[in-house]
Amino acid sequence: MRNLFRRSDMQKHLLTMRVNGEQVELAVRPNATLLDVLREDLELTGVKEGCSEGACGACAVLMNNEPIRSCLTLALEANGAEILTIEGLATGGRLHPLQEAFVEQGAVQCGFCTPGMILSSKALLDRNPQPNDEDIKTALAGSFCRCTGYAKILEAVRAARDGDVGNEGS
Amino acid sequence: MRLPPFEYQAPSTLDEALKIKRGQGAAAQILAGGTDLIVNFKHRLFSPATVISLNNIAELKRIEVTHDALVLGAGASLAEVASHPAVNEHFPILVKAIDSIGALGIQRFRGTIGGNLLLQPRCIFYNQSHYWRMSKGLCHRTGGKDCLALEGSDSCHSICSGDTVPTLLALSAQLALAGGGGKRVAPLAEFFTGRGESPWNIMPEEILTEIRIPLPWAPISWSYQRLALRPAVDFPLVNAAAAAIVEKGKLEHFRLVIAALGPAPMVLREVEARLKGAAPTREALDLAQDAAVRVAEGVVVANASASKEYRIQMAGALARRATGEALGLA
Repeated sequence: MRNLFRRSDMQKHLLTMRVNGEQVELAVRPNATLLDVLREDLELTGVKEGCSEGACGACAVLMNNEPIRSCLTLALEANGAEILTIEGLATGGRLHPLQEAFVEQGAVQCGFCTPGMILSSKALLDRNPQPNDEDIKTALAGSFCRCTGYAKILEAVRAARDGDVGNEGS
Repeated sequence: MRLPPFEYQAPSTLDEALKIKRGQGAAAQILAGGTDLIVNFKHRLFSPATVISLNNIAELKRIEVTHDALVLGAGASLAEVASHPAVNEHFPILVKAIDSIGALGIQRFRGTIGGNLLLQPRCIFYNQSHYWRMSKGLCHRTGGKDCLALEGSDSCHSICSGDTVPTLLALSAQLALAGGGGKRVAPLAEFFTGRGESPWNIMPEEILTEIRIPLPWAPISWSYQRLALRPAVDFPLVNAAAAAIVEKGKLEHFRLVIAALGPAPMVLREVEARLKGAAPTREALDLAQDAAVRVAEGVVVANASASKEYRIQMAGALARRATGEALGLA
């Protein structure tokens, strides 16, 4: 395990990026993933680490408006990029329509997959405002939910697509 | 999961990247999209001294049409390739192959066309965590002298799993590589060694720069077939691609490739030779199926998440479907 001892030798690099609209600048180890930096340095713990191999989607964030796996992206690869995490989605204390839809449709149970689900759905709706069910399934393929069975998540994305949000209690 | 330590360089020109590669050779590993390589790092399958990111090299991301070829920069993202008008116009089969890769949220925007081509071949005894692998012996690829999937084998049988590989081969693609003595161009068909421990004919100081697909002299009919346990995320258990040019009822050009069987994709030249020059008939289907099964029997070992026998039979089925669709016989 000689590698463990080389860790402190690694030269840190300067990383500049915009995260949730704010410019950040920090020194990071070359082998830090974007997930590591978002969670541990920036304390954005809405980014979740699930499988750590890309297959579960819990760590999904948007990089330059595109869904990516933060666990498979070196932090330094985000230099100069615009990153959106779930923490940056609500504006002025108001939830994003997708967040509202997930709450209203009961698409959140344990909540671990929710940030990735919502961000992947946002990237879809930004690219294609009128996705059909196939489009939604394609966009969310590789995002695992072990609670809901996906039906409610699909309903939530459909509701957000149709602007059918904000009706709670009515 | 933590990554092993390494130094990181992100040159902005190909020349700079080549200079680092010349200095460090195999100790410096090229990072394109990283959607597969980072997993391999986490599993400690590789622990490079230096990672050279291609992210900042604009010249590797170009996509252009020359007078005789579509030229894809190896660093162009899968999304960029699949949405490019020239790719859609000339080679919709490539769009279909890209659509079938993993999942949109994993590879589509970060993964590159060069990276899919140079996807490290896979094996159920190899693509596992370090902890898992400690329970088994070493294999040809992890510093040992045996194959865990085929005892006594003198080389590694890992599976070439890139979805674009059979497609690009069916389209007679060529690769441009930069390195030591400048640039060289090689047919993709000669790029694979058939040995999983050193799967490509590439020098340690070389970098894949372009994939060139010759523009067809007549409309191509094509097929891409893929079998996987799930349509998303999973790697193919078998895949096949066929490209044909039929003129005045005669088959003027035909290429059939089966892959995801062993370390190298297999071009079924014998089928090509038998069918060319005549009108396509349904006999072509049996011919393709039989040839594919025969070839697969010599290549497939028990190293995937489906049995050896199943993959062999399905290689035949997919070759049959690909031939049928490409020749309009389905």
